[in-house]
Amino acid sequence: MPLTENSTRHLFFTGKGGVGKTSMACATAVQLAHSGKRVLLVSTDPASNLDEVLGCRLGHTPTPVDGVDGLDGINIDPQIAAAEYRERMVQPYRGVLPDAAVRSMEEQFSGSCTVEIAAFDEFAKLLGDDTATSDYDHVVFDTAPTGHTLRLLTLPSAWSGFMESSTTGASCLGPLAGLQAQQAIYKKTVEALGDGDQTTLVLVTRPETSAFAEAARSSDELRQLGVLNQRLIVNGVFTASDEGDRVAAAMQKRGDDALEQMPSNLAELPRLSVALSPSGVMGIDRLRQVGRADHEGSGADAGSPLEVSLSSTELPGDLSDLIDGIADKGRGVVLAMGKGGVGKTTVASAVAVALARRGFDVHLSTTDPAAHVAATLASESLERLTVDRIDPAAEVEAYRAEVLATAGDDLDENGRALLEEDLRSPCTEEIAVFRAFAQSVAAGTDRFVVLDTAPTGHTILLLDSAMAYHREVSRQGSEVPESVQQLLPRLRDPDFTQVLIVTLPEATPVHEAAKLQEDLIRAEIQPTAWVINQSIAPLETTDPALQRRQSHEQAYIDEVKALSGGSVALVPWQLEPPTGVDALSKLGQRHHAPLQSRS
Amino acid sequence: MSRIQIFDRAMCCSTGVCGPQVDNVLPRFAADLDWLAKQGHQIERYNLAQDAGQFAGNATIQQKLASEGVECLPVVIIDDVIVGQGDYPDRDQLLFWLGKAPSGEVATTSKPTGLPVTGDDCCGGSGCC
Repeated sequence: MPLTENSTRHLFFTGKGGVGKTSMACATAVQLAHSGKRVLLVSTDPASNLDEVLGCRLGHTPTPVDGVDGLDGINIDPQIAAAEYRERMVQPYRGVLPDAAVRSMEEQFSGSCTVEIAAFDEFAKLLGDDTATSDYDHVVFDTAPTGHTLRLLTLPSAWSGFMESSTTGASCLGPLAGLQAQQAIYKKTVEALGDGDQTTLVLVTRPETSAFAEAARSSDELRQLGVLNQRLIVNGVFTASDEGDRVAAAMQKRGDDALEQMPSNLAELPRLSVALSPSGVMGIDRLRQVGRADHEGSGADAGSPLEVSLSSTELPGDLSDLIDGIADKGRGVVLAMGKGGVGKTTVASAVAVALARRGFDVHLSTTDPAAHVAATLASESLERLTVDRIDPAAEVEAYRAEVLATAGDDLDENGRALLEEDLRSPCTEEIAVFRAFAQSVAAGTDRFVVLDTAPTGHTILLLDSAMAYHREVSRQGSEVPESVQQLLPRLRDPDFTQVLIVTLPEATPVHEAAKLQEDLIRAEIQPTAWVINQSIAPLETTDPALQRRQSHEQAYIDEVKALSGGSVALVPWQLEPPTGVDALSKLGQRHHAPLQSRS
Repeated sequence: MSRIQIFDRAMCCSTGVCGPQVDNVLPRFAADLDWLAKQGHQIERYNLAQDAGQFAGNATIQQKLASEGVECLPVVIIDDVIVGQGDYPDRDQLLFWLGKAPSGEVATTSKPTGLPVTGDDCCGGSGCC
């Protein structure tokens, strides 16, 4: 199945960061344009790298893409969209209402709901309003990572229902109140998403068990939301050119095994396999080749000579060095941060296991909705280590129950109905999860708490809300839980909180992680160290594609060294999937001698 | 039957349930208004974040905001007379005002509301909105 076969008018790409979602969206758009269609390529990802992949600068409005006739691109930055929306709402009252009132309005429109809604609003304009895109045959959406995408997609149905049933007119519509006029467009957006003649959802994944599990989850979730027309791209399929090469054989085997055990709901979908591209997919020429027969085969870096210059620079140290530094603190919180798909769960689990093995009490907890911590630890138990998962759905349920039990206790039936209605607001999940996060952090006062946080966007939302709380608490100081009051000071205390930024030695993950680091520093949180996960640089291989990949990794390893000020650990790619206590322990130990030590 | 106007601080939920701490006053007050509406009273509820036009268009509120700041909110107006400010009344208080209104008497209470409702508090300062 070629990339552009039977393309509907709208194409959505979804998948975790680092699976090549942007590359696949760009390749599809470029190839459609190449076949004579007029195409609009849209990104609503706050960490979009469309510019990088296409090799040109895109704006906030449709911009022609250099070197591809018929292709325009837009980068929608939700932060900017939110700022514009805020300004639309507040501007008319500057100089009309007192300054304090205007400030109070501005603050009201500074939170994450506003960003979320503003982004969705932009996106709905394109999907729900045919005139906006009538010049194009196809609109290709390179959407944000899964969790965020799902939120965007669930909002319209949840909210249009919410608006219809909100009878009192004084309910929890939040910032959406300013967008009531868009309701018709939202409705059309939902309809367009569910119409298989108009819309295709393309799930992008890698041939890895955890990536498949995540894609299967998205597929189900979206199917339940009525998005039925789905297809699958498995990106990065590797074929060893020499069976005798241990690393190459293991890599092929891991991919083959994962493919073989693919969840049945994915196996049923129309599928395209795309070969591993040793040097990444950047630039128009490469994008044209993606998914074509002549591109298949892992030696497929067309025309690039096999000159592998193995850098003589030193590879970073081990995770074990990093864990030594953490263990010295004796207690506190370790946050593994980064985009989805970089292996935060694995790194967090490895750190937790290593600390427990060194005799500390450790609690491992995850807020990543796609996390498989429990699966990773393969339900083995390790003394001193406790594991739990912050399940957003369960947190929301608990929060609702609590609210109904306290606030709803002395209400009549109508009052309760009104309260329940407000609890259906999109804010509720955010808060419920946030409270759980604050409680987990608070537990780090007498032990180690290792948290595997959700992908960047969400992490930042959590931090944002922590800061909003913090400002609020500074002013009010009453009736806010201790765990919440202490959260931000704790996150900012380098003796209490160790922040590890997890990334992969590839362009997009490194750039996304750099953005995350900026966000953290803006929030006055200093990352402790970076962890480069799944690196093949230190492995011994003679496979030409993998050697090319090794030299391709060097540039990103060097970039991370610079970004982290030298505070970086490298975790080698594992021949066996790192699940279970023993495999995770291995990650925290010394890895293979670095390449340059081979003489 | 009376016209009851409530001018709220900037917040996202009239029930306040999106806050880190649930304040029983807000959902109860929302329910009381709902109950009064069912009695046939005309209820108008305006929130500074979303209905700023109503604040700007009301000379009394404008003046109050200018002299006392957003701390004067919520303001309760019954048939064009301010009857309460700075806190949410309970059902008895509302009924009392409705029986006495327009009395011209301004009731203020100094009881702090549990939920922080300034600043980022769409959702009790969760930053969620």
